[in-house]
Amino acid sequence: VTVQGRSVVVTGAGLICGLGDRAAAVHEALCGGATALAPSTIVAADIAQGHHVAEIRDFNPRAYLGARNVAPLDRTGRLAAAGVELALADSGWTLESRKQRPVGIALGTMFCSVKTISEFDRRAQSAGPEYASPMDFSNTVLNAAAGQVAIWHQLRGVNTTVAAGAISGLHALGYAADLIRRGRADVIVAGGAEEVCFESFHGFRRAGLLAAPDHGAPGCAVPFHAKRSGIALGEAAAFVVLEAEEIASARGARTIGRVDGFATGYDPRQEVARADGPNVLTEVIRRALRAAGADGSDLGAVVSSASGSPGLDAREAAGIKCGLGAAAPVTAVKSMLGDTLGASGALQAIVALESLRTGRLPGITGLDDPDPRIDLPLVPPGARPIDAPRVLVTAVAREGNACALVIARS
Amino acid sequence: MNQHSRVVVTGIGVVTSIGIGVEPFWRNVLAGQSGIGPVESFDTGRYAVHVGGEVKSFAPGEFVRTLPVDSIARASQLAIAAARLALADAGLGPDGLDPAAAGVVFGTTSGEPVMIEHFNDLELSGARERLGSEFIDQYPCHVLAAHVASELGFRGPNLVIPTACAAGNYAIAHALDTLRFDEAEVMLAGGSDAFSRITYTGFARLGAIAPERVQPFDKNRKGMIPGEGAGVLVLEPLTRAQARGARIYAEVAGYGLTCDAHHMTAPQGDGAARAMQIAMADAGVAPHEVGYISAHGTGTAVNDKIETAAVKQAFGEVAYRVPVSSIKSMLGHTMGAASAIEAAACALAVRDDRLPPTINFETPDPDCDLDYVPNAARSQTVHVAMNNAYAFGGNNASVIFRKFQS
Repeated sequence: VTVQGRSVVVTGAGLICGLGDRAAAVHEALCGGATALAPSTIVAADIAQGHHVAEIRDFNPRAYLGARNVAPLDRTGRLAAAGVELALADSGWTLESRKQRPVGIALGTMFCSVKTISEFDRRAQSAGPEYASPMDFSNTVLNAAAGQVAIWHQLRGVNTTVAAGAISGLHALGYAADLIRRGRADVIVAGGAEEVCFESFHGFRRAGLLAAPDHGAPGCAVPFHAKRSGIALGEAAAFVVLEAEEIASARGARTIGRVDGFATGYDPRQEVARADGPNVLTEVIRRALRAAGADGSDLGAVVSSASGSPGLDAREAAGIKCGLGAAAPVTAVKSMLGDTLGASGALQAIVALESLRTGRLPGITGLDDPDPRIDLPLVPPGARPIDAPRVLVTAVAREGNACALVIARS
Repeated sequence: MNQHSRVVVTGIGVVTSIGIGVEPFWRNVLAGQSGIGPVESFDTGRYAVHVGGEVKSFAPGEFVRTLPVDSIARASQLAIAAARLALADAGLGPDGLDPAAAGVVFGTTSGEPVMIEHFNDLELSGARERLGSEFIDQYPCHVLAAHVASELGFRGPNLVIPTACAAGNYAIAHALDTLRFDEAEVMLAGGSDAFSRITYTGFARLGAIAPERVQPFDKNRKGMIPGEGAGVLVLEPLTRAQARGARIYAEVAGYGLTCDAHHMTAPQGDGAARAMQIAMADAGVAPHEVGYISAHGTGTAVNDKIETAAVKQAFGEVAYRVPVSSIKSMLGHTMGAASAIEAAACALAVRDDRLPPTINFETPDPDCDLDYVPNAARSQTVHVAMNNAYAFGGNNASVIFRKFQS
């Protein structure tokens, strides 16, 4: 199989998450077993009811965005603009150079601007429609964050909001890489943003999808743990700058990785799939490897999206096992960073890039009692060395969406 | 398969205020029928405006068969209906396709707004703890494509692109590439939006809603009118369509996507012109070959003026010879569904050599001085049609349809 189209390289990364705002430091903290999960300062105590979340404490948009007025941006928009600023700065795509060549954005998100939407509607319903804010209305569209980021950073290329549930962030990377590979675009900032807010938290709690409150049950929100009982929410903005290799070379850019292959699919009958048999992720992994011209033998790790969800973790494990065998160690980051939903896949990709760069793969914090039914080489807490040129990043969502991305070191 | 392989439209499904299914929709578009009427889905007593483009005769149970019909909200129901109509129109039954190679991509502005309205109604009535799993199951907008695929058993690529009012075109563009690069054999590409008190409130607060009717490009135009609906195209590679003897409406020839990066709600024009130019270059067509432009044409003072200027920027002097019309004059603005429904109109225009009119056009505007196909449909050869859509966030998306010639 020959790989189609142009080579796509990563020239910058930026993230803001519960463990910090520098990719190298966050990776180091993950290798040291740190976790950002703690009682919430955003969700009121009577709503949080003891469930822990991984929040970005004391987020100060001015630290990233300078003195310009951030009032038109809601919190998701500010997180996204800040994450994109870090990625662009890391890549060397200055404001001046972005005026010469259109740079696009592909922003993955699950709940988009749900907090703004909800507050806009509640005000209209309680006080009357004439009291709803027109300025807030422009942030009620589901692509508000991408639109605001484009204005803030002068991104005049494609402007796509990617919505595929909890796989959105990884899907955004694949979407952008494909556009570049096919000659549709030269440079795209791709990633995801998701905030912790009352609306999404309350929705997850009432749906019974959150792990038991952390103080009561160790292991409850740990990926692949025998006692896992659900997810713990987190928030993050995570972006990478993707560009055609020829463009990066021409401008003498440093490259930090390469996107070699991507595939996505859907499982319409996820609830009746056999827990240990092949599933849509199996097919997706095989297609992503084929697109990358790889057979899986040179993979140093799988950075999975496992979250502590009893059913989803089992499904992801079966998908990986059937698609790849047990050739590569499998890790997950959500017991440290929370489930950042639409941002999570982009976070995983940055962890994969840092692991390839440093040769150290973070283990799964809190995994002291792995589920014996998970037949994979799971990485225990701490870190282990990896020495292989590529990493597979996987993501699954409870609705049935799945995708996989092959990332290589540069 | 590679970027040179051709992709064609083999089926159309539409759920609109002037017709459900391609035949009544197209008949009523050409007849210039309006779907605007008094809003029934919520009380507009406290608003200064009271009309909308609701789909009033829609019975979701006629279309939603696999999923429990009350387990999904209205935009998903509209989407499934349009998808089933499109598949039937394409002559594709369960035996006619490989579910692993069949994908779904939808655009939307608001996803399932009724679910956040439900969330808020509980919150405001002190019944917060009565919320069940329905908010997580039914609210996040990606469920539109997920529900369509679950209903139909499709296992291929599955995505929602919620780029507001340009979303339908973004979805068609993504489906085109997905097929060209052999990641699927059949794609359902469309848009869906349900009538929403949130959208209505927002446009009312912007003073953008017209009191009675939509008059795109008219000097006395008074604004847009929110509507709802869904549109779906069945797209297939030409080789596959020919192998199964499918009827071909049109070829999807190319697209262009840009962002103004200027203002969240006010269009700027240059980005729109760039999108048209990129689309024409992608399709390999020159301005003089374009025989019809389906305008974004919302009927607001700003949009129609800026859009007219953008067409002139992209087409030069040729602009005065290209017919430009807006079916939003009939349907109102169906948000993320709009450009999908308008894409259906483009494919039909290319097939039939018939141009949809812009109704309610009475007084020419010096700022809007193109040929808007006023008030009556026209018979005219259309080899190439361009579908333009613009959105909050500064998004611009143009898709080009070409008459199919083997």
